[in-house]
Amino acid sequence: MTIKKSEIAYISSLSKLKMEDAEMENYSHQISDILKMIRQLEMVDTDDIEPMSHPLNMKQRLRVDVMTEENHRELYQKNAVEFEEGFYKVPKVID
Amino acid sequence: MLLNLKKDSTKFPRLLIDDITKEVRLLERYTLKNLVAMLRSRDISSHEILDMYMQRISDHDTSLNCYITLNKDAALEKSIQADKLIESGDSLPLTGIPYAGKDIFCTQGIKTTCGSKMLENFIPPYDATVISNLNNQGAILMGKTNMDEFAMGSSNETSYFGPVHNPWDLARSPGGSSGGSAVAVAAGLAPIALGTDTGGSIRQPAAFTGITGLKPSYGRCSRYGMIAFASSLDQAGILALTAEDTAILLESLAGFDPLDSTSVETDVPKYSELLNTSIKGKTIGIPKEFFDEGLDSASEQLFFDAIKVYESLGVQFKDISLPHLSLSVPAYYVVAPAECSSNLARYDGIRYGYRHDGIKDLDDFYLTNRQIGFGAEVKRRIITGTYVLSAGYYDAYYLKAQKVRQLISQDFKEAFQNIDAIMGPTTQTPAFNIGEKIDDPVTMYMNDIYTISANLAGLPAISHPCGFVKDLPFGLQIIAPHFAETELLNLTHLFQQETNWHQKQPPDLNKI
Repeated sequence: MTIKKSEIAYISSLSKLKMEDAEMENYSHQISDILKMIRQLEMVDTDDIEPMSHPLNMKQRLRVDVMTEENHRELYQKNAVEFEEGFYKVPKVID
Repeated sequence: MLLNLKKDSTKFPRLLIDDITKEVRLLERYTLKNLVAMLRSRDISSHEILDMYMQRISDHDTSLNCYITLNKDAALEKSIQADKLIESGDSLPLTGIPYAGKDIFCTQGIKTTCGSKMLENFIPPYDATVISNLNNQGAILMGKTNMDEFAMGSSNETSYFGPVHNPWDLARSPGGSSGGSAVAVAAGLAPIALGTDTGGSIRQPAAFTGITGLKPSYGRCSRYGMIAFASSLDQAGILALTAEDTAILLESLAGFDPLDSTSVETDVPKYSELLNTSIKGKTIGIPKEFFDEGLDSASEQLFFDAIKVYESLGVQFKDISLPHLSLSVPAYYVVAPAECSSNLARYDGIRYGYRHDGIKDLDDFYLTNRQIGFGAEVKRRIITGTYVLSAGYYDAYYLKAQKVRQLISQDFKEAFQNIDAIMGPTTQTPAFNIGEKIDDPVTMYMNDIYTISANLAGLPAISHPCGFVKDLPFGLQIIAPHFAETELLNLTHLFQQETNWHQKQPPDLNKI
């Protein structure tokens, strides 16, 4: 079962990736191969098994809601290319 | 004991003759332990050590390509400071010792690229915890090593900065994704290096380059400042020449970090003091599923020869089964891409990262930045990950893979009730040629078949050299229960006292 180019196009748009037609063709074949390999998972019965999201089956550790960090805005914005008065600039969104 | 070592820095020889083995050893291939001893006894200065490695990098890195960024001036400056501290008796355990860091660890003020065009010019404003842990012990960062892009790869061929070459045969891959770190240590361009392991990315390159590589338990070392690929699988770890060096480093790297919400609060043993515990009577399991198909027969023979060494040390072996092992690659290639698609969603070019000029539409801006910033393998995994998480497929793929992950973890839990550790080959073959597998993703993914299950189960695992197949190094892997790194280091250390595979150097290193 080959994944259709239209499906690749839809998935790419969800993940904000774009590609040329030839690239899409290539990915559609490679990802079909990967999905074929992945479908081996269907071989095993997992009806009564808990899904594992943490390898030690731990719960999220929480802490008291008290401020521990300072605002380092200037330092962190050193990697930004365009910003003004502390705000990051992007292409216009609203007309 | 070292002969022929002179204190005059203009004349000290780089070749040393070990008076016990009579082997010619290149100084750059001396262990961390030796270097620390030599610094303490003032047989060498930190500045001389740094100078020596920088010269070697200058001579050899063009053909190996293991460094992306060098921290040369700052490192040399720090070495002068280190010598003053050593002189005044105020030194710390690793004062003056240089190390290399995989370019996935944020290093304050030093470019951190993750092997990608997306972060080609990214300069982190902070240090990863493991980096500051080493720096706080006096170690000196020499440079950032090359890696598969965003840690996705098993050959160091997906790096935006070009492939890394295996010093045992320059036409071959050193493995990945920590290929640069492994080669730096194997070729004497650093005594120790930091790497990361999500599906085998420390252990497999260690096996392909003839060195020792440790992936600690999930939660053992902090992931703060370590650029995320798959958050439930990623772990920082060590590439070094010996188990002893690995143990010394692990003492500094491991430990609870409140800045990492998956960091586990559990004591850090004095690993370096627990290396010589007798292993007589230990029981090791060998999973029969490792020998189903695909393992090279010469490699299989080497593995069983190495087992005999362990037997001579009093270890008992038994056959065990990990029934769901064959599903570890499929399960991983659902979970890891899914997590990567989420983790890499942050790269939009707005706050940092690749940003294309002159685009007027916001959506097009995101699309173009990510199209140009990411390489093919990264895109492939993002698409696979997004697919398995998408509506209509989530249950069949992602939820299913999480359940299989639980089964794989249970297999190990059950096995460990009757055994102390598990052994097997680290890889199915020695290093393959660059270009051989890169066009076929599934073939490349199958490289990880022996290593991946330890990541899924969060277990610690080590690879150490156990021989050669056609003049190429081959590795043996040991997997232990959670937080039993002591076991891995103990077993490996005693093996390394009985054998000298770990002392073999790539042929070129013997030429002056």
